[in-house]
Amino acid sequence: MKDSFLLVSKCILSTIYFKEDMEVIKMTEKNLEKIIDADIHPWINGDIEGLKPYLSKAMWAHFDGRMRLPDHPLRPPLEKSTSIRLDTIPPGGGAGGSDPVYMAEDLLDRYNIEHAILSSVQAGKLVSYPNPIEATALASAFNDYFLNEWLTVDSRYKLAMCVAVHDPLKAAEEIRRVGKEKGVVAVFMPLFNILMGNSYYYPIYEAAQELGLPILIHPTGTEGGFSTSVAMAGGVPRSYIERHTDFPQVAYGNLVSMVFEGVFVRFPKLKVLVAEFGYSWVPSVMWRMDQNWRNFRREVPWLEKEPSQYLLEHVRFTSQPAEEPEKSKYLTQIFEMMHADKTLIFSTDYPHWDNDFPDNTFRHLDEDLRRKIFYDNAAELFNLK
Amino acid sequence: MAYCIGEIGEVPKGKALIKEVNGISVGVFYEDGKAYAVRNLCPHKQAPICKGSLCGTMLPSQPEEFVFGLEGKVLKCPWHGWEFDIQSGDALFGISQRKVKTYPVEIKDGMIYVDL
Repeated sequence: MKDSFLLVSKCILSTIYFKEDMEVIKMTEKNLEKIIDADIHPWINGDIEGLKPYLSKAMWAHFDGRMRLPDHPLRPPLEKSTSIRLDTIPPGGGAGGSDPVYMAEDLLDRYNIEHAILSSVQAGKLVSYPNPIEATALASAFNDYFLNEWLTVDSRYKLAMCVAVHDPLKAAEEIRRVGKEKGVVAVFMPLFNILMGNSYYYPIYEAAQELGLPILIHPTGTEGGFSTSVAMAGGVPRSYIERHTDFPQVAYGNLVSMVFEGVFVRFPKLKVLVAEFGYSWVPSVMWRMDQNWRNFRREVPWLEKEPSQYLLEHVRFTSQPAEEPEKSKYLTQIFEMMHADKTLIFSTDYPHWDNDFPDNTFRHLDEDLRRKIFYDNAAELFNLK
Repeated sequence: MAYCIGEIGEVPKGKALIKEVNGISVGVFYEDGKAYAVRNLCPHKQAPICKGSLCGTMLPSQPEEFVFGLEGKVLKCPWHGWEFDIQSGDALFGISQRKVKTYPVEIKDGMIYVDL
């Protein structure tokens, strides 16, 4: 059996980079493994203030000094109560993740990442806003900001454009406006407290399918904290450790809803990336859906095959935070059960506190499975081949 | 070998006449002038399936649409609701490869004969 550690080590070379004038600018070790990072988080300093150039005069006047997007009151018990690593603050200041040039050095160059998908958790906070006019304008501003100030800086950045689900028809318009731009590879859909199988979201799915863009869902940090945002099962968590542990239940319920409501029958080319919701629960949800389908198929007669087959065909999961079972062999077993060779996609979650990196993640895998998780599955999903 | 298990008039509407023949529990349904004999054992969890109902079910359809059909042709287990074709014993719409055991049955002079 191949030892993946040795394989990876063999791929590491010392490399010297030169500018055109041959000035040595950097000497580092470069990992030649091909990597796509499916989930990184840019930040705009000042929240709405930072979006000013991308808001109409009328909307700027409307916000009238109301500049901050709200935080969930349960903060991570880390220095300054922030989920953004303080050691990622760029040399010029601002929050970690706010400087595309520095992030390229600190993440993309360091780990030889070929493509990295930007999904803005900051934009995800829009689901805490009850007003659809505000949320729709801000979503467009976020998209234009990232198109102009990130994708132009480094072509390795790709964008999961954001939509405001407050007005699904406007969200579909936004997908058709932005989705054709070069470098846009997904639609980040921050969720309301409406399950994803609900026809409420269909205009968004229709537009995403039309443009060949997968829907990306991700915790928005608002879960359980605001009246419009996703409620946690059973009640309201009372600490960060609780709400962070409970994230998978959000994805679990939404996938069950999508499969049984027939979203993938209605939208046969639609794909979904479930980012940062964990994945050790995926075998469980597949088994439970199939078991109940055998019992109660008559409630969902539009399903043409086992529910798990829809999940395996249409849904992908990001790897971060890498699960840490009691024995590492359990992870291998879970990978087999969830068909990780098709469904799992590597992500770092940079610059958040719980980020994973290629050199400390899934070192036990054989070369073939590692390549699929770190590159092939993402290349197929985001059409980056 | 054919066994006489009772009179056709004993079969309740939509339900089975259940009798034991050579240690095997067998149910006979009678619907629209046709008799069906089935082993009273669900292949899923060994439930007494003949205590379930002979009914119809939802046919394959578009999302958010119900089309009812196969009325009187579906044997539905009283435990987990698994549905089988009463004629062939096959699980319906691919929910399982497991089958309910069916037997040839004849009605002669109002009496039910099951071939076990």
